[in-house]
Amino acid sequence: MHFLTSKIVSVILFIVVFPGVSGGQIFSDLRDRVRQANREQLLLAPAQRARARNVTGAPSRLRAASDPISNSSVSQTGPISGYMDFHFNDRQESDPVLDFHRFVLLLNHSFSERVRFVAELELEHTVVSNETDGELELEQAYVDFLISRPFNLRAGMVLAPVGVINERHEPPVYHGVERPSVETVIVPTTWFGAGVGIHGELRGGLRYRLYGMETLDAAGFSAEQGLRDGRQKGAKSNAKHLAGTGRLEYVGTPGLVVGTSFWAGDTGFAFPRLDNSVTMIEFDGRYRWQELDLRGLYAHAFLDSIADLNESVQRVFGINPNVAEQIRGFYLEGSYFIVPKPAPRELAAFVRYENFDTQYRMSAGYLPIQAYDRDSWSVGITYFPDPDVAVKVDYTVMRNQSDVVTAPNSFNVGLGWWF
Amino acid sequence: MRTTVILGLVIFSLLGSISRPDARQGTAREVEIVAERFSFTPSEVRVPLGTSLRLRIRSDDTMHGFRIIGKGVNILIPKRRQGEVVVHFEATEAGRFEFWCSRLCGAGHNFMRGAIVVFDDTRNDGEGI
Repeated sequence: MHFLTSKIVSVILFIVVFPGVSGGQIFSDLRDRVRQANREQLLLAPAQRARARNVTGAPSRLRAASDPISNSSVSQTGPISGYMDFHFNDRQESDPVLDFHRFVLLLNHSFSERVRFVAELELEHTVVSNETDGELELEQAYVDFLISRPFNLRAGMVLAPVGVINERHEPPVYHGVERPSVETVIVPTTWFGAGVGIHGELRGGLRYRLYGMETLDAAGFSAEQGLRDGRQKGAKSNAKHLAGTGRLEYVGTPGLVVGTSFWAGDTGFAFPRLDNSVTMIEFDGRYRWQELDLRGLYAHAFLDSIADLNESVQRVFGINPNVAEQIRGFYLEGSYFIVPKPAPRELAAFVRYENFDTQYRMSAGYLPIQAYDRDSWSVGITYFPDPDVAVKVDYTVMRNQSDVVTAPNSFNVGLGWWF
Repeated sequence: MRTTVILGLVIFSLLGSISRPDARQGTAREVEIVAERFSFTPSEVRVPLGTSLRLRIRSDDTMHGFRIIGKGVNILIPKRRQGEVVVHFEATEAGRFEFWCSRLCGAGHNFMRGAIVVFDDTRNDGEGI
């Protein structure tokens, strides 16, 4: 209770610090900036009109025109885009931390109209050293060969097309300071690796991705984090076995996205004579109606020959990892724009329920660790001073099935932006 | 009586010609397209030859671009709640005209593609295009 009270005080302090939500000085400053941007837009308008005239006169008989956008701010960007994630995390029974979680740069280059390069370079937790958790990761670096709408080739470092967040993870597009636990622990977002594959859009709003990519390393599987530490991340990845992954999704109705995906691969290459494999299936959906946004996801992974893996790890490292035969999780989230006005007066509230268990089904002779059968409720708000800037505050109540170990609640504040 | 019948037939035929316009002479159509990471919805717009197509395009998140390949159209779509752009497309020739997002909008930027399919309605509805 004391923890919760202190968080309520923190929220009040936060509102004082960010008075834009309640209409203070910064809010009016932002309004002034928008007005300034509008003036810049008006200055730009003649150029746009000129472009429209040029197009009108083109032999193709096409005309393009920009309707007056009197309230639009003009977002300027250079050759580099990216996103950032700055967090304040206060977990129960731990000291609060300030963490510049993600510093991500996206680069792209078009060799031609149909041959394009995209890269995403990510620095996590600011410093990479032996003393810190920092990581420098090349999460994407691929070349797309855009052949036709239904058939295109992609090769390089690719994202596994599994789940909602893995391919769509810019901070302003999801609520909550941290990504959903299900899409961190069950689906090991950001799930990336070396691969090659095809993608495209079929008729009727159906899209697909189908890749062959590096597999997971079963030596990294654990009882608490599931598959997460098995990612090879394209760093001299073992290519004796490859995984297959794919996604089919429907995007043909405005506001609705429904998808299903799979990932399957042999993962026991680190241990001689171990024939271990993983198959994951996943279903997800998002629906937006006016100011209401609903989303949900279910993911289930089946780990084959896992008893042999546990014994192999115990022989090598001396500790049995107690990896489960099946892990699964799901979440449901609803959000609503309670202030549905153009930024900087745009505010949404959300609530999310998650249930995830990395000890869901055990091999014969193994008992589940109840502390890893978890569920949580998260509530919070996201304030958008700009559609590409998200100020987030949330509170998460975490529970588990253990009678001994308690799961910590957490209070989080985040600032994330895309540019 | 005979004059009235003839006059009636003339008026009827005139009305008939007005109510059954040749598609080639042009009909207007408006389509609303929503852009968001990483799709245009709808991503395919099918119109008969001669249509004067008016595309009203808005974004549900960040700023996107709308470029029709080979047609000289490349325009920015404002961010969520900040307005829309209108693109006029005169369907003067049958074929498939692809449009892409022309502003890097995230990891799935290259997935943001669509097409305007112009078909000659005297033959089919463009299934083969």
